[in-house]
Amino acid sequence: MIYGPELLLGLLIAAAAGLYFLRRMEGVAALAAAGAATGLALLLWLLPHDAPVELFGRRVWLGQPISWDAGRITLQIGPATNTLLIFLLVVAAASFILAWLTYQGRSFYPFGLLLLAVWATVAMLQPLTLAPFAIVLASIISVFLIQAGKTGETRGAWRQLLFPTLAAPLFLVATWYIEQAPLNPDDQTPFVIAGWLLIAGFVLLLQPAPFHVATPAVAGQAPPVVAVFLWIGSQTTILFLLQRFLVVYPWLTSAIDSARWLLWLGVFTAGLGGALTATQQSLGRFLGYAGLYDYGVLLVAMALRGTAGLPTAIWLVLTRTFALLTLASGAALIRHHMESDRLERIAGALSRMPLAVIALITGGLALAGLPLTAQFASRWALFQLLAENDPRWVLFLMLGAAGVILGTVRAGYACFGRLTHSPVEREPLLASLLIFALVALGVILGLYPQLLTAPVAGAILPLSTLGP
Amino acid sequence: MTLADLFRQLSILVGLPAVLIAAAAAAIIVIMRDWRIVIFAYAVFSVMLALLLSQVIPTEWALLQAIVGGLIAVMFFLSARQLRWHPASGVSWEARWPQIVSLTSFRALTVALTAVTFLVSRESIELPVVDLLFRDMIFWLALVGLLGLALHEEPLHAGLSLLIVLGGFQLLLFALVQQRMMIGLLASEQLLLGLAISYLMVSRGLDASRPAADAAPMRDAHDLRP
Repeated sequence: MIYGPELLLGLLIAAAAGLYFLRRMEGVAALAAAGAATGLALLLWLLPHDAPVELFGRRVWLGQPISWDAGRITLQIGPATNTLLIFLLVVAAASFILAWLTYQGRSFYPFGLLLLAVWATVAMLQPLTLAPFAIVLASIISVFLIQAGKTGETRGAWRQLLFPTLAAPLFLVATWYIEQAPLNPDDQTPFVIAGWLLIAGFVLLLQPAPFHVATPAVAGQAPPVVAVFLWIGSQTTILFLLQRFLVVYPWLTSAIDSARWLLWLGVFTAGLGGALTATQQSLGRFLGYAGLYDYGVLLVAMALRGTAGLPTAIWLVLTRTFALLTLASGAALIRHHMESDRLERIAGALSRMPLAVIALITGGLALAGLPLTAQFASRWALFQLLAENDPRWVLFLMLGAAGVILGTVRAGYACFGRLTHSPVEREPLLASLLIFALVALGVILGLYPQLLTAPVAGAILPLSTLGP
Repeated sequence: MTLADLFRQLSILVGLPAVLIAAAAAAIIVIMRDWRIVIFAYAVFSVMLALLLSQVIPTEWALLQAIVGGLIAVMFFLSARQLRWHPASGVSWEARWPQIVSLTSFRALTVALTAVTFLVSRESIELPVVDLLFRDMIFWLALVGLLGLALHEEPLHAGLSLLIVLGGFQLLLFALVQQRMMIGLLASEQLLLGLAISYLMVSRGLDASRPAADAAPMRDAHDLRP
């Protein structure tokens, strides 16, 4: 009998190992990585979880857990975990194809699959307090992806590593306090101390402003599609872990006002991200700060996790994926063909890469949440929800959005004008088609947001009833 | 000689001497620029940490910390050797690797100020289960490690500062919980961190250890195919 976690992790690690040797044949490696991710996503989607099935002559039971250390450590694919894993695998498949067409480096495919395996471990692991160690492992793997063989600057990779490493021990000490609490039920002090330790640990893991320093550094250093893949994967996984903590330890909400903390941090992150997006001089850092604004908005949605907050957060996670991938694809193509991402050196990009520039502008405007973009409806829903609590928060978020719009206009305007250096290659046909598809999909989702109703509804129930 | 005999012979160091030596080694890592001194100080720090850990966990488990620390020191030494200065490299003595943005005297002053902060506020720190000597050690390692993280961007020094902070956490955690699995988990984490930090050291140091004219022109990330 093969259990779900064994099948998933085994296939991902085996595929990563195989692709490491194939990485010099980039097209083959990209297609194989995307194929593996898509195949696994289909398996998770189609196979039943509550009963074993025959698969290639072997019996497979997806929902069955595996355990070590006398059952103290377990890995299990529950319904909510399954939803997250399918999402991550689909995002990975799309990222692998985009990375191949936008020249993001060969090492992305094997290391990307390995990262997926680690994120899957975070999502499946029990006890929850050990999951941050898997996040540290993911950060260590990210170091090699971000650095990508470059010499010189190491700031992005180092910062990516630093905060999760500092966070992990806080969870272990919090575990001790949680275990002490039942010894003296009248004393709430262990819960309060554990709550503070967990909040501090999550702040370091989530990296909102002012701990956001890794985001712009990674954006400036790593290939854009790789950076976006890292953000989508790690941020979604950590928010999923936070949701699991809040469901498994309900006292966490009452011992510490965690929702209020998250709201403040989210608004501050979005405000700072938006303001700094407007002032950037390079596409990479523009992408970083625009992504930071969007992340702040997502944190605000998580802070409102109630009957309407959680669906809005899931909706935002889906739409921001389109927006970030669109923006990153445009930025990656421009950066590659213009041999720079400084705004003063990309003049004339529009004449050689019109679709890449359109993707850059559309992606930027989508992150700002403008109408006719995928993010508009989800943002609108969030703003309405937030205004019921306090309209001032909405004003802050809209000011941040204005900064993102200004940054997008500056980045787009920089692509106009005459080429300052020649020759510059035209954008490849296949990449153009894919970018066109992304832009078109974003507009369609902007016009018909109800298309995402089914996926969002499918994710809500398992997420709101997450068990230990 | 058994492992227990070895630790019995070293028992004269356990307690205040080990705390003082480890605290001094942590301060040296933050202050000094020379990579040989810094790596040697980390090796000494790891041995002292293992001696202190032997008071709260079984000796065999504590020895693992010394082995892991030694392996990390070897990894760092091998990486640093590739980047070391020699006259034929064309790099001036002042521009040698590792490049640090602050002066040694400034770092010594900040460590001295941290020591004052430590002396003033250590009484107000309350940690569960651990005795006063361990409490002081944990507090000092956390302070000096965080100071090192704030002062250094160079992966060798910043990485060692991070490992110092983790060392302090280990003392606290193993005083609270004695689980084999936890010891293995933390040891593996440290080894993998050491590997990543070594990689970053070489990535950053290769530019500094070559003369400016020979250094590769700045390229975008997508041009690089590792």
